[in-house]
Amino acid sequence: MSTPNCLRCLVRPSAGIPVSGPMSRTATTATPIAALPLTRTLTAPFSTTAASNAAPRRAFQPAASTKGHSRVGKKLQLGKFKKDRVAERGRVPQPGERKAYRKRITLSNDNAIPVPWLTDLAPADMTAAENTARVLALPEEVQDQLRAGEAFKTTQCWGMFRKPAVLVRKETVNLANQMQESADNRKTLRLVVTGDKVAGKSMMLLQAMAHAHLNNWIVINLPEAHEITTASTEYAPIPNTDPVQYMQPVYVLKLIHAIKRANEQVLSKTYTIQAHPELPQNIPSNTPLLALANVAKEADGAWPVFQALWNELTAQKANRPPILLCLDGLAHAMKVSDYRSPSFERIHSHDLALVRLFTDALGGGVQFPAGGAVLAATSRNNAPRAPSMELALAQREAEARRGAGAAGVEVPQKDPFFRGYDDRVEAVLRSVRVLRVAGVDKLEARALMEYWAASGMLRATVDEKTVTEKWTLAGSGVLGEMERAALLTMRI
Amino acid sequence: MASSSRQGLTSALRGVSTRPNGGQRQPLEQQFQSLQLTPAIVHRRCMASQYNGRRDNRNNDITAAPEFDFGSFARKFALANYARPVPVSPSYFSRTPSFNDRYLTLEKLFRAYSNLPLIPAADAERIAWKTLADLRQSFGEPVKATDYVKCLTIVKRLHQIHPELKPDAVKSALQDFKRDVQAFLNVTNPIPIDKFGRALGVGKRKSSIARAFVVEGDGQVLVNGKTLPDYFGRVHDRESAVWALHSTDRIDKYNVWARVEGGGTTGQAEALTLAIAKALLAHEPALKPALRRAGCVTRDPRRVERKKHGRVKARKGFTWVKR
Repeated sequence: MSTPNCLRCLVRPSAGIPVSGPMSRTATTATPIAALPLTRTLTAPFSTTAASNAAPRRAFQPAASTKGHSRVGKKLQLGKFKKDRVAERGRVPQPGERKAYRKRITLSNDNAIPVPWLTDLAPADMTAAENTARVLALPEEVQDQLRAGEAFKTTQCWGMFRKPAVLVRKETVNLANQMQESADNRKTLRLVVTGDKVAGKSMMLLQAMAHAHLNNWIVINLPEAHEITTASTEYAPIPNTDPVQYMQPVYVLKLIHAIKRANEQVLSKTYTIQAHPELPQNIPSNTPLLALANVAKEADGAWPVFQALWNELTAQKANRPPILLCLDGLAHAMKVSDYRSPSFERIHSHDLALVRLFTDALGGGVQFPAGGAVLAATSRNNAPRAPSMELALAQREAEARRGAGAAGVEVPQKDPFFRGYDDRVEAVLRSVRVLRVAGVDKLEARALMEYWAASGMLRATVDEKTVTEKWTLAGSGVLGEMERAALLTMRI
Repeated sequence: MASSSRQGLTSALRGVSTRPNGGQRQPLEQQFQSLQLTPAIVHRRCMASQYNGRRDNRNNDITAAPEFDFGSFARKFALANYARPVPVSPSYFSRTPSFNDRYLTLEKLFRAYSNLPLIPAADAERIAWKTLADLRQSFGEPVKATDYVKCLTIVKRLHQIHPELKPDAVKSALQDFKRDVQAFLNVTNPIPIDKFGRALGVGKRKSSIARAFVVEGDGQVLVNGKTLPDYFGRVHDRESAVWALHSTDRIDKYNVWARVEGGGTTGQAEALTLAIAKALLAHEPALKPALRRAGCVTRDPRRVERKKHGRVKARKGFTWVKR
């Protein structure tokens, strides 16, 4: 069973934000939040239903030093009915509580009807073409793993259904097969998922992660690139690097914990091949990687631990499972970040060590010992302009189409009069594959709408007419728009 | 000269002199001889007094013609019995003579031709009859509304007479009651379906103009090169745009490629409704009643009301200030 509330809400990139609820009284900001025992976090420190009951309501009491008005009883009363009204404000939310509420992820709805024919995903389900246009549920352990890896987004409609389920689309089968093929050949698939707004790009990453978890891969997910590059988490230069690189210890600590929780099973069966005496806690060789990950207790030592973990994972000739490395919101990783160097110049995102690690892998600089995949997804609603990235993706797409034998495809070229191109970005994206996610076809739309109707969330007969109507309103089956048109619009 | 001589002759016949030298009366013979008679006048005069002429032949003596006998004259020619002339129209003294005349004509025709076979009113040619205001304007008379209604009832009844048997009198009588501009004669140009199978419909709403090309397809819509959700943020607007297809269950049968300009999102969406409906009618004219019920046929003529002076907007008043 998944935890009743999201771990994301409890482990935040910035330790400066105290955790909501009664815990914030005891745990000061100096205490590493994630170091708290897991049992402690399970005691529902934050409840949405009875928020007002969670803390005893206290009326506003003025400080004792103020003695009220200096001329009590002699006030000039202008209005006949004007009385001293005390505004009833209710309980003021704790710091961070509103954000936790906003970012909370609900994965089940007890009021939704359980769908009888819904089956759980099996390891080979996503690679099978006959599963196209079927809705399959995520097994519970995978739910936990995905949740730990922050694969679920607040914008997705998980909270409407009894249990999380995904639609297997043609693109899903395509992606899963590419991943499987690369893992079988001990190659690294490097692929960028792109497409229109709310077309299901993040969902493709989630499905890839689910596939990886089901097949015992190691999954490292960077859920939002903007968390890394918009100067919202602490950073520090890494000594002895030239050109200087920057680490983000707090974020990395959070990431290590996410990796640890998401891949607990696999990491405990994977062993180090070399000793790591430089870490705060000595790690001899042949230790489970889980123990190595557990070394990171504080933000201070997080980056060396992460580096050691990464080196172990990518150590050649070692017995390693395939690795999946994911990042969502690629445009943020492909621009000059908002961080400043000591000389107050803006740091390029690729000079942030974590981003560089990802871009090296995406650019083909890292070979995973047992193969794997490096996936990135673009975003359409929180994306800065990254002209080089857009151009490179368009070029790769056109090249792929030309390679497939399409006639008359022109590969777009650089605008010679535009200065905003970025060579480092182009180098990274020179040889990636591009998977374009567009609208679903009517068969897939119908499968999805039948699942909605079976869950009691779509109160309409699912027939050709309804399916085509929603499919058209959603601009030829853009999934997010179908949700908007069918699920999220109140109809009485 | 001729006129003066004729005048002289007339006065001579009457025995009255109107000459300026009338103080000295000349003998009738002198007067007569002073005239230069044209042969025609002489001949006429001979005819008028044949008896005398015969006598003239005898002794060449001139006498005046005998008096006219008005009694026999009246018997010979129909002359009025009254002192003042009676008007031809019976409604000459009414306030609305021209209307009344026509009304009476119609009644008379109605009595005369009430036995002719009729055709159903729906089969008769559609005619835009003059409204009361038009009628008043064209006749220049204050026609009463009740009279107008009665008159128009007869007009419509006469109009129903079978066209092959309709007398010309009826046709001409009805002519005055037709409007000058016959809107029913306007024939809408049918929207063609071009060689690519496209029908172009144009729709307007508020300040928006939409042109929609509708082809047979599977339900794809492009508005100004964008998909429906890209172009219209509101789901309601998207539904409005394809409402013509949706309400007739044709949403999976056609593709739409549209250009919209002007106005806001609502106006553009509803202009699209109209444009798509018109183009759809080109493909399937039988859908017109269904589309009319769905409200996709009639153009909504409302526009922004103009701002008035003395007001903040069209109607909003200024804030009341005490002083």
